[in-house]
Amino acid sequence: MKEMIVNRPIAETFGWLHMGGTRIMAPEGERAIACALAEGETRTVVVEDTEEAALVTADLPQGACLHLIGIRRAGAAGMARTDIRVRCGEGAEFHWYRLILGGQESYDNCSVTLEGTASSFTADIGYRLGGQEKYDINCEAIHTGRSTESRITASGVLSESARKLMRGTIDFRSGCAGSVGQETEDVLLMDETVRNQSVPVILCAEEDVAGDHGATIGRPDEKSLYYMGSRGLDTETACAMLAQAKLDAVIGRIPDPALRDALREETTR
Amino acid sequence: MSEGKTYVEDVNRAFYDFRFEEKDSFRVQSGLTREIIEQISAEKGDPAWMRDFRLRSLEIFHATDMPLWGPSIEGLDMDNIVTYVRPNTERMHTKWEDVPEDIKDTFERLGIPKSERESLAGVGAQYDSELVYHNVRKEVAEQGVVYTDLESAMHGEYGEMIREHFMKLVPPTDHKFAALHGAVWSGGSFVYVPPGASVEIPLQSYFRLNAAGAGQFEHTLIIVDKGAKLHFIEGCSAPKYNVANLHAGCVELYVGENASLRYSTIENWSKNMYNLNTKRARVEKGGRIEWVSGSFGSHVSYLYPMSVLAGEGAACEFTGVTFAGEGQDLDTGCKIVHGAPDTTSHVNTRSISKSGGVSTFRSAVVVTEKAEGSKSSVSCQSLMLDPISRSDTIPAMDVRTSKADIGHEARIGRISDEAVFYLMSRGLSEEDAKALIVSGFAENVSKELPLEYAVEMNNLIRIEMKGAIG
Amino acid sequence: MGAELLRVEDLEVSVGEKEILHGVDLTIGRGETHVIMGPNGAGKSTLAGALMGDPEYTVTSGRIFFDGEELQELAVNERARRGLFLSFQNPVEVPGISLENFVRSALEQRTGKKIRIWEFRKQVRKVLETLQMDRSYAERDLNVGFSGGEKKKAEILQMLLLSPTLAILDETDSGLDVDAVRTVSEGIREFQKDRSASLLIITHNAAILNSLEVDAVHILADGRIAASGGKELIPVIEREGFAEYETSQREEAGA
Repeated sequence: MKEMIVNRPIAETFGWLHMGGTRIMAPEGERAIACALAEGETRTVVVEDTEEAALVTADLPQGACLHLIGIRRAGAAGMARTDIRVRCGEGAEFHWYRLILGGQESYDNCSVTLEGTASSFTADIGYRLGGQEKYDINCEAIHTGRSTESRITASGVLSESARKLMRGTIDFRSGCAGSVGQETEDVLLMDETVRNQSVPVILCAEEDVAGDHGATIGRPDEKSLYYMGSRGLDTETACAMLAQAKLDAVIGRIPDPALRDALREETTR
Repeated sequence: MSEGKTYVEDVNRAFYDFRFEEKDSFRVQSGLTREIIEQISAEKGDPAWMRDFRLRSLEIFHATDMPLWGPSIEGLDMDNIVTYVRPNTERMHTKWEDVPEDIKDTFERLGIPKSERESLAGVGAQYDSELVYHNVRKEVAEQGVVYTDLESAMHGEYGEMIREHFMKLVPPTDHKFAALHGAVWSGGSFVYVPPGASVEIPLQSYFRLNAAGAGQFEHTLIIVDKGAKLHFIEGCSAPKYNVANLHAGCVELYVGENASLRYSTIENWSKNMYNLNTKRARVEKGGRIEWVSGSFGSHVSYLYPMSVLAGEGAACEFTGVTFAGEGQDLDTGCKIVHGAPDTTSHVNTRSISKSGGVSTFRSAVVVTEKAEGSKSSVSCQSLMLDPISRSDTIPAMDVRTSKADIGHEARIGRISDEAVFYLMSRGLSEEDAKALIVSGFAENVSKELPLEYAVEMNNLIRIEMKGAIG
Repeated sequence: MGAELLRVEDLEVSVGEKEILHGVDLTIGRGETHVIMGPNGAGKSTLAGALMGDPEYTVTSGRIFFDGEELQELAVNERARRGLFLSFQNPVEVPGISLENFVRSALEQRTGKKIRIWEFRKQVRKVLETLQMDRSYAERDLNVGFSGGEKKKAEILQMLLLSPTLAILDETDSGLDVDAVRTVSEGIREFQKDRSASLLIITHNAAILNSLEVDAVHILADGRIAASGGKELIPVIEREGFAEYETSQREEAGA
């Protein structure tokens, strides 16, 4: 085991909130996963979570498109740690799909530099946590090239004493004119003992950009529950459907149809 | 960037920049030692508890680290800040005629007490470290409302009340500059609004720092008792010197059950000012705090008024605008702690960055386990006026109960070309069109201010926006 | 007249501090179609919400019986399971749940039986056709990004699939163009076809009623049923509006 600070964001909030990096005792083992794509190549890579941390790197050349899929299985014990570093060349695309279906402790760091003109990054993150489960994430879209685009979408459900800390950063660096960044977070809180922490950051050193962020955190919306109830669904079923919808939003975007169906099956079991 | 783009010139602050020869009768040495604190305490005739409080705070100051986040304050050399400057006048005056000519002239130029004559219930004016003038309208005083300087109140019938509340909301252990404040504070106001009293017209205090290389550490303590109502306005300015000045004031607001307090600030310190100000309100059951905050001046600002919603159904509303121009790094925002059931908070802020200025919106919304049924919404928008400036948005939310509804939205962008074109098609110059759009952008704040302050704020925006089209 | 299905007795309903309904009586028999007309603000939607159990409305006095059972203590989903349906004026958008999936889950919960996806899909497609809606609506997130007209059609679609014993249509025709009103009427006629289910149609526009069987018309004004009659009331309302009923109420109050 080694002590380390993970998920440290580019810009920190007030010190007393302790949402900077997270200090952890991590297992020693690490797996280096380098994704080397040719110009114009599209590839899908699935990374399974194991005891060993996954260090994923990719330097995407012109027009390359990488889909990276990571699934943390329900009920998984121990710690999973992922550290993703991607650089996108001209017109390159990086799509990250991350499902946390459970698991005792999960730490994700994903830092993407959009260097090439018109390169893009999307992150679709879905989680469903209960018990004492914990998810800690830092996701960064660093726009340095012109006309680059990023979208970070995270939605999930926390119940019992589950805890989630998400830091998301859209960083418009000088020279990234014409870029667009968007971050949305939608968190459903089911029980009184959950804890949700969110730090959605937009950093901007360029005039000609558009960045926005929206977050909704709380109980299932009363109006939706009433509407669903008026069709005969009890509160429990309605909540379960709303929770499943958070995962479906991510699953539905996964490009591999077989995996998509398998995940739908797995999550509704 | 394309040719022919509009660059708006930097501000002409001449209006605030006049200064008078410093004729202080008493000025402590620069730096911070036990001896200096004892000297200040003796000079002010502190009661014993206050002298001890100052010395304890000094120890905390020396033992506390500088904040590790936020803008750089490297330019601030504490060894060269003069912590106490008493103007050349006997203490407080209640008649305007008695205030010395140069000081009176300063405030007349700033429009005070002209504004008092017109629309205020009371005015306090602080010059460097001491309050030089204080006056409350008769009908307000008759309601039992107390508005005076903190030092003399400490010795009077409200002495015990002050001791019970002074730096209890913002303890010296809070951060390094709170400790500094505890050690060297001087001047400021004490306001007490008794139960059920309602002050319909605003009270105002105005802070003016005239001495070079000095610090201003005024303390504002306001207690609005059960069911009472108050609007307090605070204005700040200083002329520009080449040495750094420091403002580390502290504002403590106690809002009682079902009471309401609106605290408005238009801050226009000169651009050599380090504004490290701490403001905090505690709101009891059914009470309401409203912050209206305009930050235009200073070189570096750390300013995050905090609202502790301690009683059931307490509410907070925060409306702010920050305009960072050349050489400015303004880190502003707010902090809200939902500590009781059914509390609500609404935050609406705008920031504008221009000519290399840096504006940062920083916020924290904490919803504790006890805050069932609470609601919070935060909305912040930022406007970038050129590609050499910077605008950051760093909000944080920590939610520890499921029975809450928390919403946040942030947007960053620039002035839309369509809007400029539309206004120009109606005959406005590009400069006027942009100034109009920026004023409209800051309307969330100006519409919450009394008319004359809204006019002053729009003036500041126009001054900031005015300039040649390149 | 069919056997009694719904009986409302002296119903008083408030929203917040304000009382909206001041004692409404209404009885609907099995298979009957009743119409409630009235000016804006008369309390029509309040009545619909109170019947369905919308938490926004508080029943301060009076009773509601449905199929012989008192509804007061029942939660909204329990009322739905007993066969009550409300077509909402402004249905909420529920992202992430498809229309088809939603209705299937509702049916499964009501019957307690698993429904076969393929058979159900065929049924959904048939109804979509009746309502001249594209097949893709079944896959789209519930009401998300639907236009006003599409939302109304999606409500009628749910009514046809859930086959309730009493459907309340709250201004289902408002904001629809002529063609959409015709399509929606068609859907309602389909629902009326075997005359086993009852309808309570709330509207202030007679167009939707032209092609429907109507057994009774009630005028709701100022929180009370001001008049009841047959279909013959409709052309009178169309000609003369509601002014007469509103004034008569005022006079009564002033007397």
